[in-house]
Amino acid sequence: MSRSDSPLPPEANPSLRRPTDRGPEGPLGFAWSSLRMAWRWLRRMRTALYLLGILGLQTLLATIVPQFPNVPRTVEQWRTGEAGPGRSVSAIIELLGGYDVYGSPAFLALLLLLFTSLTACLLPRYRAWWRVLRRTRPPRSRHLAGQEQVVAFETDAAPDVVHTAARRVLARRRWRLRAEDADPGLPPQVAAEKGHVVREGGSLVFHTSFYVLLVAIVLGQLLGYSGQVGVVEGRAFTDTAVGYWSTHPGRWWDDADHRAFTLTLDEFHVDWHRDPRLGAQPRVFLSDVTVRTEDGREIERTIGGNDPMVVEGMKIHQLDWGYAPRVVVQDDGEIVHDGFLTMTPAEGGFWSGAVKAPGADPDLGFEVFFWPYAPPDEDGTPQLTGAPWADAPYMVLQEYRGDLRLDVAQNVNTLDRTGLEEGEILAMRPGSVAVLPDGVTVAFPELRRWVGFQVSSRPTAPLLLLGAFLVLAGLIPALYASRRRLWVQAGVDPGTGRTRVTVAGRAFQRPQAFEVEHGRIVAALRAAVDELPPSPPAAAQRTGDASTEVVQR
Amino acid sequence: MTEMQLAELSRVLFFPVTMLLYLVAMGLYLYALAFTKVDRGADEPAIAGTRALRLATVVAGIGLVTHLGHIVTRSLAAGGRVPWGTMFEYSSVSGFLVVLAGLLIFQWRMRRPEVVGFLLLGSLLTMGAALLLYAEPGPLQPILNSHWLKIHVFSIMVAATVFTVGFIFNGLHLIRDTAEQRVAEARTAGLTGSTVGAAYSGGAGVGGAPVVVEEDEGPLGTEADRADAPADLADGGVRGPADGDDDVAYGAALRATISPWRLAIGTFLGAATISWVFIPASETVATGLRSFLAINLALVAAALLGWWFVAKLPSAATLDSLAYRTIAFGFPIWTFAVLTGAIWAEQSWGRYWGWDPKETSAFLTWVAYAGYLHARATRGFRGRGAAWLGIGAFAVLMFTYYAVNLVVTGLHSYGGLPS
Repeated sequence: MSRSDSPLPPEANPSLRRPTDRGPEGPLGFAWSSLRMAWRWLRRMRTALYLLGILGLQTLLATIVPQFPNVPRTVEQWRTGEAGPGRSVSAIIELLGGYDVYGSPAFLALLLLLFTSLTACLLPRYRAWWRVLRRTRPPRSRHLAGQEQVVAFETDAAPDVVHTAARRVLARRRWRLRAEDADPGLPPQVAAEKGHVVREGGSLVFHTSFYVLLVAIVLGQLLGYSGQVGVVEGRAFTDTAVGYWSTHPGRWWDDADHRAFTLTLDEFHVDWHRDPRLGAQPRVFLSDVTVRTEDGREIERTIGGNDPMVVEGMKIHQLDWGYAPRVVVQDDGEIVHDGFLTMTPAEGGFWSGAVKAPGADPDLGFEVFFWPYAPPDEDGTPQLTGAPWADAPYMVLQEYRGDLRLDVAQNVNTLDRTGLEEGEILAMRPGSVAVLPDGVTVAFPELRRWVGFQVSSRPTAPLLLLGAFLVLAGLIPALYASRRRLWVQAGVDPGTGRTRVTVAGRAFQRPQAFEVEHGRIVAALRAAVDELPPSPPAAAQRTGDASTEVVQR
Repeated sequence: MTEMQLAELSRVLFFPVTMLLYLVAMGLYLYALAFTKVDRGADEPAIAGTRALRLATVVAGIGLVTHLGHIVTRSLAAGGRVPWGTMFEYSSVSGFLVVLAGLLIFQWRMRRPEVVGFLLLGSLLTMGAALLLYAEPGPLQPILNSHWLKIHVFSIMVAATVFTVGFIFNGLHLIRDTAEQRVAEARTAGLTGSTVGAAYSGGAGVGGAPVVVEEDEGPLGTEADRADAPADLADGGVRGPADGDDDVAYGAALRATISPWRLAIGTFLGAATISWVFIPASETVATGLRSFLAINLALVAAALLGWWFVAKLPSAATLDSLAYRTIAFGFPIWTFAVLTGAIWAEQSWGRYWGWDPKETSAFLTWVAYAGYLHARATRGFRGRGAAWLGIGAFAVLMFTYYAVNLVVTGLHSYGGLPS
């Protein structure tokens, strides 16, 4: 068997390793040989396994330890020791880059090594596969009887005729055949193989798809955009660079790429299964919106949890929602705050937010706590329940006076209490107005809700889909296609004077399936041979009663 | 019937009806395995074995019917939605699929009834763990209400089921392979003069070249043949080692190579790496500890059963091949499931991949099984090394399922557990 005929990938076939050619001597030579060694090390499957193992360990760490880009608040709590395993362990995690595994240099280095190793493995395999594809030469078998599947039968057709018939039968079944004139001087034999190109090709497609995915992900990061914004019922926002609460633009995203549409939240529908067994499981979660594009078209649509809206290539997702009580604050008869608070759920079944009124003198702030369902009992005291439906809204405000320090970046929904002086506590129902002893008036005229939308542009999504498709398209033949070889040799038996045909085969995978296939091919060959006119010496005998021997090892 | 009655019926069908049927079927399969003998030359199992096997098949079949009844009634009780919305339902359907695969693929198509008893055991363990996570049937969260739930979760479930079957084969392979190798070593070391270990020199030839066995090897020749043909799975019916004194001696020799205590302790510790999650996930430490101990002891019992029947198991090479083929079948399904998960995430959450703990651990599982498949093709890892990797990959899968659902909070927290 010549080298190029080997079905095995080169790394499994030591004979394919080229002899090392001597590089230059001296320090340059040392660098050269180290480089070669590193390359060879990267080519080994064992290396790939170790790298996969390290990738696994890093991923495991990222599963157990909260990741800063995902849950910054939890990470903060771990760092301060409020939650998690404590500060000393947290310091170790920090040292290992455990709070941002996927952004850490170690992860990038590993990814680079993995892809280099993949490349190092793939390059020779591409070459070998290309060779198999181009110069296909299924090898001859020297010893047919020694193969796994052997069936022999006798016929009256001449050997040449049988060989031609075998070629036809195998070609029809898409087997690759060894050229007829490939071996002058040797006894004629039909050699065929199947599955080599598909199996190895599938494996190559599978591994190549990772480059497609990598390119799609990296390009997606550079070109993509996502922005998050909360919209109160009846209000609107416009898709511009400054229209969002938070944005994640790619490096190559241009502010001119915004589509400048305006989205109005007409109504938000939310309801729950009000069944104590189910614990207030949500039932409906839908936003009715009207989008007006820059050129004046108006689109009305309902956005659901699994049903985003697409406007000029930008996808609009409904991500979260909250209660938005309108709070009007007057200080000395002057309105210092009139707006909807975008409250966020806090642990314990209530919602929290803040009022910041720097217009008052000194600054006026309120911490706001909101219970959607707090029905009054007999003597009118609100029963604070954790139920999320707003059937009996109840709001508690804690007043603060002092410098709000709004020049420092801070969360809209929390008050920075340093240096603030605590004031009154007031409880309110919708429609109520409270007058504080210091002359401040607080009104709670209405309750609406707000919805958090995400607007995103992912231009490489089709490429990602292509990569995903290639992963599967390659994986299936790589795992399931079986490589098999078949040989047919016919010769005149000197004893009987008839033609003895041996059909031998060997499968590298799935031997049982091949056993069946081998039987079918033998049957097809016999049928093909039987149709032929018998060769002169044995014309009297019918081929139908030809004896068949099955030799199986 | 009202939904409450349906829910009650569904619960009863699950436990005790189906679980008891599976338990009885498992006992019968193992009984058949224990009492099956092969006459030299003929592949006819002894009468007791055949009858027990037939009965076992019937009982397991009835179990499948009642289990299907449970799944359907539960789905109806929850308002006619897909029956895999909570962890309990998911585990239940997974257990169903394991038994279905055992009967249809391994017993009927591959003619390997020896392994069905162990598959039933695996199914029972899955279902037992499901009982610990029992939740009343209820409607789905609206965010789950998507066609992707059917596609993504179903393929995850099928792949996880296939991996569970692969794990059973990997575990049995490790037990059997250890026994075979030690017997062979003992023989080469000349410690035992008998022919007992002789045929098992083939144990080293996992997936490799045939091992030549001397002609006068006696009744054990059949077993050696099977070791030589790793992928030759369709041969014969119920077969154990040959009859006669050699059979008993050989079985004893295989069993004697493994210390049950070490096996038990190892299994307990191995299981504990995952089952600890039941302690923080339970309402009280006492119930958590009880769940923890129950799972570990059940797994120890399973391992000891495998050890007890080591001589009756298929050869190490066959088990290795079964494990590989099973996992190779599951891997593309898992890949598909992860990819559809990414598509669904883009639909639902507005990003295809966010390194959410569940996404991360699903990817970790993928990496682990990719590692197993690569190891299988790497010299030096093939055989036992690969089998250990397969066990590790399954531990990762269990981590993905139990630990991430119960302990780590993320966007995938839909376990449907009473909080």
